[in-house]
Amino acid sequence: MAVIEVKDVRKGFDGLHVLKGISFEVNKGEAVCLIGPSGSGKSTMLRCINLLEDIDGGSIRVLGEDIAQLKDINTYRSKVGMVFQQFNLFNNMNVLDNCMIAQKRVLKTDPETARQKALLHLKNVGMADFVNAYPSTLSGGQKQRVAIARALCMEPEILLFDEPTSALDPEMVDEVLNVISDLNKQNMTMLIVTHEMGFAKDVADKIIFMDSGVVCEQGSPAQIFDDPQNERTRQFLKRVL
Amino acid sequence: MSLGKCLEILSKYKLSFLLGVRTTLIVAVLGTLIGLLIGLVVGGIRAIRLDKTAAPYKKVLKKAVDIIFRIYIEIFRGTPMMVQAVFIYYLVYTNIVRWDKMVAAIFVISINTGAYMAEIVRSGIQAVDPGQNEAARSLGMSSMQTMFDVVLPQAIKNAFPAIGNELIVNIKDSSVLMIISITELMFQSNSIAGTTYRFTETYFVTALIYLCLTSISSIILNAIEKKMNNTKTSLPQSDTDFKSISMAKEEL
Ligand SMILES: Nc1ncnc2c1ncn2[C@@H]1O[C@H](COP(=O)(O)OP(=O)(O)OP(=O)(O)O)[C@@H](O)[C@H]1O
Ligand SMILES: [Mg+2]
Repeated sequence: MAVIEVKDVRKGFDGLHVLKGISFEVNKGEAVCLIGPSGSGKSTMLRCINLLEDIDGGSIRVLGEDIAQLKDINTYRSKVGMVFQQFNLFNNMNVLDNCMIAQKRVLKTDPETARQKALLHLKNVGMADFVNAYPSTLSGGQKQRVAIARALCMEPEILLFDEPTSALDPEMVDEVLNVISDLNKQNMTMLIVTHEMGFAKDVADKIIFMDSGVVCEQGSPAQIFDDPQNERTRQFLKRVL
Repeated sequence: MSLGKCLEILSKYKLSFLLGVRTTLIVAVLGTLIGLLIGLVVGGIRAIRLDKTAAPYKKVLKKAVDIIFRIYIEIFRGTPMMVQAVFIYYLVYTNIVRWDKMVAAIFVISINTGAYMAEIVRSGIQAVDPGQNEAARSLGMSSMQTMFDVVLPQAIKNAFPAIGNELIVNIKDSSVLMIISITELMFQSNSIAGTTYRFTETYFVTALIYLCLTSISSIILNAIEKKMNNTKTSLPQSDTDFKSISMAKEEL
């Protein structure tokens, strides 16, 4: 069952065409990796799915609904979690409050339940010992794991990742990728923009290769990495592998 | 100028000076606090960035409110507070209500300060990393919730030095409010000087009193700032944040 259906999506920024008719689907429980060179429109695609940007043409259906027609954007966003390259933790709150605030404000969860859920998810990402720490005292890998726990606390149906390890020192990449792999094993539906080709090969059910605003090729990791059909895919893989 | 004469004036007129200090402090402190409230509302609304997906009527409304606030800020920062004081005092007095001079003084200094605070708050808000705003929105928080829970606490903290500076400015600049004859420190000094004919000595004492008031305020403000930073909620880059705030201020 497709939970994200992107059809012929077009998007421009003052005359600059960034997405030129993108179509793909993400099925329930799948991990789909979006790869492609810098500037190809990967972040813009994710931001459109989260309604941080609106689209100029085409349609995006998520969980069966056309998101352009949604009445309650905030409820929708709480179901579609997003993890950012720069972590974007709230600097004025400690780790626990980072994980509790949206539960309290958006889901109206009572403080004790919110606390328990935050602790559970922080434990799952290995950050339970840091509940009282402020973001400024954490390493990049720790921050990103808290950011993932924060998103999970909303019990989202889908998680979007925008280059979750690109801002990390190399030795911290694995701790974050492991958390994402674990989520994949628990059948979380995920759309992941990444430059970690090894990781994409391991966890992805499907790889989508984008270049200059179009999907050049999509398929299983084996198809894309071992037998790419498109010339641009081949060029790109040659550069990054 | 003789120091002995200064002391003599101080001790002889200490009640008048004290009355002046009291009025000055009331006007300056209230003016700063009310000005901060005005600044939070005006600066906060000015800093709101509507979703690209927001309804068109909201965008139009926002634009209109922005223009009105901008005019308010330009007028009150672009004319002397002394002129504002006489103009507003007499405008209201002759056309609307025979209002109390003290009320008029606090009103004028508050809206004057509000215009400056609005810009301080707005640039403080804009110095908060927009990624945190997006993260809050992506979790489903409304723009209001995001503003109050995430952005404003950091903005106020970053802008605290500039906010505190407004108090110091108001302690000194409330002296121009003597133009509508409230009994603040400058007004009192004028009448003491007029009685004693010792202008140099009287105003020397006045200057010293102002200096005491501003120094004490400075010490208190620094203590508060230190306390805020000790709660560890501070950003490691708060220095650069403050720099970007003052840079944003200069841009205007
Ligand atoms: N808000 C914006 N305003 C104008 N142009 C934008 C905006 N956001 C993105 N762009 C442009 O759109 C193009 C695609 O950007 P996008 O961030 O989606 O690429 P990307 O595939 O995520 O690249 P990267 O791998 O570097 O993150 C770029 O040319 C970028 O400059
Ligand atoms: Mg990107």
